[in-house]
Amino acid sequence: MKYFTYIFRNIRRNKLRSFLTIASVSACLFLASILASFTAINEEAASGTRDFNRLVTMSSQGLGAVVPIVRLNEIRGLGGVEFATPFSWYGGKLGEEIQPFAQFGVDAETIFKVYEELVVPPEDQKAFIQDRAGCVIGRKMATERKYQVGDKIPLKGTIYPFNLDLTVRGIYDSPPKSDGRMCFFHWDYLEEGLKRDFKGDRAGNAGVIMIRCNNSKVMPDLSKNIDAAYSNSDTPTKTQTEEAFSKMFAEYFGNFKDVISLVGIVVVLSLIFVTGNAMAMAMRERTTEMAVLKAIGFSNGRIMFLVLAESTLIAAAGGLIGAVGSKLMLDAYDISKFFAGFLAFFYVPWSVALIGLAVSIGIGFLSGLIPAISAARLSVINGLRKVV
Amino acid sequence: MADGLAIELRAVTKQYKRDEFTVPVLESLDLVVREGEFLALMGPSGSGKTTLLNLIAGLDYASSGEVIVHGQDLGRLSEGQITRWRANNVGFIFQLYNLIPVLTAFENVELPLLLTNLNRKRRRENVMTALRAVGLSEREDHYPRQLSGGQEQRVAIARAIVTDPYLLVADEPTGDLDRKSAEEILNLLEQLNSEFDKTIIMVTHDPIAAQKAHRLLHLDKGQLIGDVVQVPRLGAAS
Ligand SMILES: Nc1ncnc2c1ncn2[C@@H]1O[C@H](COP(=O)(O)OP(=O)(O)OP(=O)(O)O)[C@@H](O)[C@H]1O
Ligand SMILES: [Mg+2]
Repeated sequence: MKYFTYIFRNIRRNKLRSFLTIASVSACLFLASILASFTAINEEAASGTRDFNRLVTMSSQGLGAVVPIVRLNEIRGLGGVEFATPFSWYGGKLGEEIQPFAQFGVDAETIFKVYEELVVPPEDQKAFIQDRAGCVIGRKMATERKYQVGDKIPLKGTIYPFNLDLTVRGIYDSPPKSDGRMCFFHWDYLEEGLKRDFKGDRAGNAGVIMIRCNNSKVMPDLSKNIDAAYSNSDTPTKTQTEEAFSKMFAEYFGNFKDVISLVGIVVVLSLIFVTGNAMAMAMRERTTEMAVLKAIGFSNGRIMFLVLAESTLIAAAGGLIGAVGSKLMLDAYDISKFFAGFLAFFYVPWSVALIGLAVSIGIGFLSGLIPAISAARLSVINGLRKVV
Repeated sequence: MADGLAIELRAVTKQYKRDEFTVPVLESLDLVVREGEFLALMGPSGSGKTTLLNLIAGLDYASSGEVIVHGQDLGRLSEGQITRWRANNVGFIFQLYNLIPVLTAFENVELPLLLTNLNRKRRRENVMTALRAVGLSEREDHYPRQLSGGQEQRVAIARAIVTDPYLLVADEPTGDLDRKSAEEILNLLEQLNSEFDKTIIMVTHDPIAAQKAHRLLHLDKGQLIGDVVQVPRLGAAS
């Protein structure tokens, strides 16, 4: 690229202006990549569960309602069902931490059969089963909070007026793209509290029921059959794949996707204006120079190319730092620990980083378009007269 | 050209349109310049010297009449064609040098060659030849701000000759220089004319500068007056 020297020197001509432009592009793309990753990861995490052939039965009323625990054994008896466990949200505080990590009351015998990708040493699993107040926690959480087997985790109820005094009996290891910060304890232990201190109101229920099927082919029929069986009962159910459930769960917190898209569009537009303005300023300062280039034989097309290459290079530099930078930075530093259970893991997927880079190239091109056209339109004569 | 004519202007008029007014600048102007001629153009400010130069150099079109340079009727060329024609045929020297401040002397001189198919090595050879011709080969890595006015103008001349153009146009090339630097520039132009047979048209306000040319024309009120043939100087082609 024989014009590269000239284009590059032009970028360095007003270092502060170029720096500021690159900085605003990279700052915005950094944020935009992180926002876009939320949606991308949610989908990736959701579709990542496909291999495990799991169904989730919840109340057709939504997540606020519950499923009677008698359904558990009924479901276990259905063909195609391998294992099933209740899954009940406790939502306890740890000290003053309101949402320290997700805690679920489960069936200790089957939870790690339903979640076969979470691995606990057999002796720890046995210890967990034997201790009604025992719990198993994720490796990430154990590492971050320095928990070891035998440690106490005193949880204060926020939904329920009773506390849980849990003891760590095991630590599970999980694949990278799964939740390594959950805390599983006995559903029975929760039930005990409900019967004792909650006037039995909420007792006898599971939040949802997690079902592991023996193959994926049975899943569509199975979920239909479960729901059909209870459609006329007092507590109709809604059964769906874990993937669909995860997506629904994400949407529970508002339509993130649309908000993020909107933010993305606004960011892109304002970056086009910011970069375009910087380019227009740069070109105004170079009117005579452009005229000289034209006089010595640079065609309008080549002049346009020079301007577009410059604006594209500036924006792409910002995109590289912002989008690809966000990926590398968040690969090195896991921010999901600040999201207490709502976000099992966080990273910027390459797809998002590369789209961010591509978007920045588009921003550079579009922002250079008007300055490039006016540079091409500039009359040589008038451009040269400016000096004399 | 076989007929030895470098430039031929026939009944050339040029007017600028300013809003509703048309400003007549050149009126029915005829001019013939021989190949290898060094022509000086004088005249009061606003008389149309730059305008005339622009027409000859293919930077602008005549309003009517014919401008024929190196056998080419410039009026028949489209904007794209005339741009290419300029790149191949004309070298420009401006009063304020108009070097690109962010490029070194070498890179400035190389600019017109970027438009050719020459490879990097050939470009380097040609640039160094041009810089040597203006006596600045050891300044190739200097930026314009590191050079004196006279040196900047010499780099500009190197840029003008690096493609070996047929015609050199210079609009007040010494207008911004002290007497000594001006003298160097004029000698350089004279040398390019005599040794390399470049046809040169130079606009100047300086009678001493005009002395270097073979012929001096005055432009006044849109007309060329006085066709003073200079006594050929020693060693100069006539
Ligand atoms: N692009 C233009 N638009 C309108 N008028 C113009 C334009 N260029 C030149 N003129 C007018 O044409 C006339 C001749 O201008 P020109 O620049 O050719 O004069 P000049 O002889 O070179 O003057 P100077 O010695 O000051 O450089 C002037 O009246 C000028 O105002
Ligand atoms: Mg002039």
